[in-house]
Order: sequence, then structure tokens, then C-alpha cells
Amino acid sequence: MNAGLTRQALRKQPWAFAGPFVTQCLAAALASGALGASSSMSGARLDPAARQALTESSLPEMAALFVVMSVYLTALIVGLTMTSSIARQGRDIALVRAVGATPGRVRRAVAAQAAVVAVPAALLGVPLGALLARAWLAGLTGHGVIPPGVTFHPSAAALPAALGITVGASLVGALVAAMRPARVRPAAALTETAVPRRQLSFVRTVIGVVLVTGGVLLSIRIANGDPAKADGSSFFTMLAMCVGAGFLGPVLLRLVAPLARLFGGTGALAADNLAVRSKALSGALVPLVLAIAFAMVKVVTHTTSVHVHGAPESPAEVWTEYSGTAVYVTFAAVAAVNTLVTVLLARRRELAVTRLVGASRVRALAVVVCEALMVTVTALAVGTVVAMVTVVPMLHGMLGTWKPYLPTGQLTVGLATVIGLVLLGTVVPALVAMRRPAVESLAVDP
Amino acid sequence: MDNVVELDGVTRIYGSRRRPVAALRSVSLVVSAGTFVAVMGATGSGKSTLLQCAAGLDRPTSGRVRLVGQDVTRMREGALTRLRRDRVGFVFQSYNLLSELTVRQNVLLPRRLGGPRPRPLDEVLAEVGLSGLAGRPVGELSGGQRQRVAIARALAGRPAVVFADEPTGALDPATGGQVLRLFRSGVDRSRVTVVMVTHDPMAAAWSDRLILLRDGEVVADGPTPDPTTIAERLAATVSDPVVAR
Repeated sequence: MNAGLTRQALRKQPWAFAGPFVTQCLAAALASGALGASSSMSGARLDPAARQALTESSLPEMAALFVVMSVYLTALIVGLTMTSSIARQGRDIALVRAVGATPGRVRRAVAAQAAVVAVPAALLGVPLGALLARAWLAGLTGHGVIPPGVTFHPSAAALPAALGITVGASLVGALVAAMRPARVRPAAALTETAVPRRQLSFVRTVIGVVLVTGGVLLSIRIANGDPAKADGSSFFTMLAMCVGAGFLGPVLLRLVAPLARLFGGTGALAADNLAVRSKALSGALVPLVLAIAFAMVKVVTHTTSVHVHGAPESPAEVWTEYSGTAVYVTFAAVAAVNTLVTVLLARRRELAVTRLVGASRVRALAVVVCEALMVTVTALAVGTVVAMVTVVPMLHGMLGTWKPYLPTGQLTVGLATVIGLVLLGTVVPALVAMRRPAVESLAVDP
Repeated sequence: MDNVVELDGVTRIYGSRRRPVAALRSVSLVVSAGTFVAVMGATGSGKSTLLQCAAGLDRPTSGRVRLVGQDVTRMREGALTRLRRDRVGFVFQSYNLLSELTVRQNVLLPRRLGGPRPRPLDEVLAEVGLSGLAGRPVGELSGGQRQRVAIARALAGRPAVVFADEPTGALDPATGGQVLRLFRSGVDRSRVTVVMVTHDPMAAAWSDRLILLRDGEVVADGPTPDPTTIAERLAATVSDPVVAR
């Protein structure tokens, strides 16, 4: 019975699980890769001079920090993506509850789904992580940042660690999402899924405010503290604020949604859609904001430092600084696109109805693009605020300036990338969903 | 322009070339403005295909369809969509509303998609008996209320024709009667044309003209008789031995 429920869920919505699968695969790669790189450095057989050089490069320290960061980041994002894909099954869960599945059975079925996705993802992710770590170490030795004796040695802990993180986070995320639909009476659940709860949860908002405030306070403390430790703690500042922004996501999206009304009828429809779907979309907001904030903090720290010192850093230093961040940003961006795709594919029926009452494909697409733009604006605004709160005190501590500096060229590239990502996660699946005539889509998906 | 819907030798074949299934076989008929037409027949007789071809939701394999005077058979998808949006209303058994949005947002949906300026919302909602519910999410309404929202959406833009596919299929007889009364008054008061597919003789009895389909062909077409006669004729078309072709 459990296997049946799991199998049905996987078959009915393959995409809802393909997204988390890709995310978890990358998560496992990231965690095991960071672990592999770190252990390769500490375990490398080097002569004392090379060992000394390696320690002085502070790269082992940085790698160890990467391990910690990757664990938190992947656990957070894996849990989040799994939550949003289980949340989509609310109606199905209500149905199986109505025909006699106990809450316990539903939880077991959901847990099984999480494991079915996470275990193969981790198994595939670990070798990918090994390749990633190998390439990173090769890049570091190639740029002369670390002695050439440091080569990649797979860590024995990589597989259990990757499995532990992905399966654990996936299970927690899935069970959190299943908590409500598994517990409420089936009748209530059936009506509730027809009408998503509109009022924003008070608890959710409070948690969001607490996390954001905590992040801001932490950032101020960092500014007054030891600049050497700033890098590690600023990561947690940022993480706290991003998660906080995720909790506040529905509120933020509803604040931005009315902007869409500037675009006439199409925009008004987009604004209404955003308001009712703010909760599902805020699942994509966290990784998006993380990616934007991460990239911005790293780039702004670098460009401002160059601007203040007036001299460009060595290419090796730039490569080291950017390579690690690039991996995180890519991971968060992929997770964001996955979540956007999941949200959009859940709306196939709605798109078909819109077309049936007279929207051409182009017009229906315009609504989707309009919504995507509002999500982008929200993510950019929140990401920028988070990045600035993190980076400004840090810059003051390090360089004694309150003015972050970002050249127009890099700003433009960043903006274009974010817009491109959001469009990729919305327009492409919308086009796929609208390939069939509207009447057919409705007949298949009533 | 008196003929709102014209079908000329419309054939629609589904399935592969090797195993074709004809849902409609050379159907020709004309519906003039301000009539309420009921289309009946057994399951699989081609009623829904007839409706979809007539409404420009599906394209016939051969033959010609004219909708409000325009040949839709060769019309491009964009122009066809605009024609549907501006001149045609739809009502389905499964409502096909956006259940997360409110009554107002659903009724105004065609307008937001660039459709014609609708009649005042209050007037339309009063007509279908939904005054005061404009701000309610559709998902919170009963089946009968939802179907009335769908009718309000269909009628708000002053369409020339409304196509209804089993509009009372999911409703009890009393609620279904309210829905049919709305179609009837639309036809009588505003000269809207209604083409309705149904399997219920009581529902068909509200119409002016009854078309019976069997096996993709029109077997009877004339003024609508009383429900008992409709039921008898329908039973006759169903129980007649179907000649293998």
C-alpha cells in the first residue's frame, strides 16, 4: 500500500520529483566535493616547506569553512525543495485519507518518496562531487595558490556524509510539508486545497522578522569584531536573513504584486495570481535570494577592495575567491529554477482555462512573464538588501569605507543573469504546458 | 447575419491512419440567431466533438465550419482565439473556473485578456443570482453557484453564442433547473444563441430545437418535444442495433 502510494505519486508528477532530484544530486556533489577537497589538503603528503606554504595560503581553513557552509546550505535548500513538491500533493493526500489511509501511513508514504528521491541522488552526486573537487584542486595548483603536491584523494566520509545530509534534509522537508494534510480531517483538507488559505500565518511572519532582525544584529557585531573571522560569520548572517526573507516571502510578494497592475489587464491578472500563489512562489524566493546575495557579497567585496586600494588583485587570488562562490551560486540558482518549474507545472490547468476563455498563447505567456518579472524584482530587492546589510559593515571593518562599489558592467551581467534564470524557470515550462490545445489539457487534467 | 453557426459536411476522424475512428460523419446543420439548441445522443455518439468543432475548439478533418459568419476552418490560431474571446461564451460540466480567484476576477477574466467591455458586473451577478458574492473565492462556492459564475463569465461580454457541454451534469435537478432558466432568459431577452450538449431529457426540454446524434450522424433534428418524448426518442437511438461498418 505504501509502495503503491509512493509509486503513484512519482508517476503522476514526474517533474515534481525530477526537480528535487537534480537539486539533491548537486547538493550531494557540493557537500562531498567540499569534504573531499578539504581532506585532500589535510591528508596530502608534503615536505615541510610545502606544508608550510599550504598552511600559509589559508586554503585548508577556507576548505574547512566550505564544508560547514555546504552542509548548512544544502540541508536548507534540499529541505525547501522537497517541502514544495510534497505541498503540491495536498489534494491527493486528502483523497487517500478519505478512503482510509491513517495519518501514520500518509507520513510513511511521504517519507518513502523522500528517500526514493534522495538515495539515488546522493549516489549519483558523490562521484560528481569528486570530479568537482578534483577540478578545483587542479585549478588551485594550476594558479600556484597551493603546492603542486596536493592531489585529490577521495574521502571515505564523503558517501555517508552526502547520504546523511540529502536523505535527512529530504525527509525532514517532506514530513514538514505532510504534517498538515496528514493530520487534518479529509473533508477539511479537500476543501482547503480547493481554496488555499489566504490569510498569512502570524507565526510565519514572526519567525521571519526574528531571523531578519537576528541577521542584522549579527552583521553589526561582525563590523565591530575581528575582520579575520568575518568571512565565516557573515555567511551565517546572510543565511539567517535569506531564510527570514523566505518566511516573509508571501508578505513581500504581495507587496510587490500590485506593481504588475501597471501592465494593464494582463498585469492585473498576474497580480491576482501572485497574491494567491505567494506561498508557493516564496519557495523559489529563498534560493534565488541566496544566489543573488552570495554573488553580490563576493563580487562587491572584491570590486570595492580593488577600488579602494587602486590596484588589481592577482589572477590567482581572484580565481580562488570566485571559484568557491560560483559553485554555491550555481547550486542555489539551479534550485531556484527547479522550484519555479515545479510551481509552474502545477498550473497547467489554470493556463488551459485562461486560454479557453480567450487568451492566445502569447497573451497567456505574457501573464506568466509578468509574474516572473515581479518575482525577479522581489528577489533582486531582497537579495540586494541582504547583501548590503552583510557587506557594508564588513567593508567598513576591512577597508574603512562605508561605500560599496560595483561597476556597471558587472551589475548589468548580474541583472541579466537573474532575469534569464527566472524566465528559464517559468517561460520554458509554460511553453511546454501550452503545447497541447487547451481543451485537451483540460480533458487530461480536470 | 442570421446564421450564427453553420456546419457543412463536417467529418472528424480521431486515431491513427490505420485505425481511424470517425467521431462525426459529414454533419451539416445551421443554427440561426436567438435559438436554444440541445444536442443529444448516447455516450460516444459525437456530441462533444460536434460542439468542439462548432465552437472552433477543434478542427474538423474535412468539411467547413462558419462561426458568426466567419469561416473558422482555415482561420489562424490567433484570429480564432480572438473570435472566441469576443463573440463566444463557454460553459462546461467541470466549470473550468480559476478556483483560487474570486467571482469578480473570474467574470472579468475575458476582459483582462483583452476581450470586449463587459456589462456592469453588478447587473450580471444579479442576473445569475450571485449578488454580494463578487469578492468570494470561487473555490468556496457550491457547485450550482460555480456554474452560475461560469454562466456570468460567458454572458458578461454579450456573446453571439454560448456553447455548453453538459452544464447540468454535476448538479441536482433543482439547481440544474436554475442554470437552464438562465440560458433560456439569455436567449429570450438578449437573443443569445445557445448550443447545449446534454444527456438529460429534462434539461433538453428547455431548448427550442433538438438534434439527436448516433454514431457521428444526425438522426433527428426538429422542434423540441416534451421530456417524455425526448426520453423515448433518445432511448430509440441508443437501443437501435448499430450496423457494423
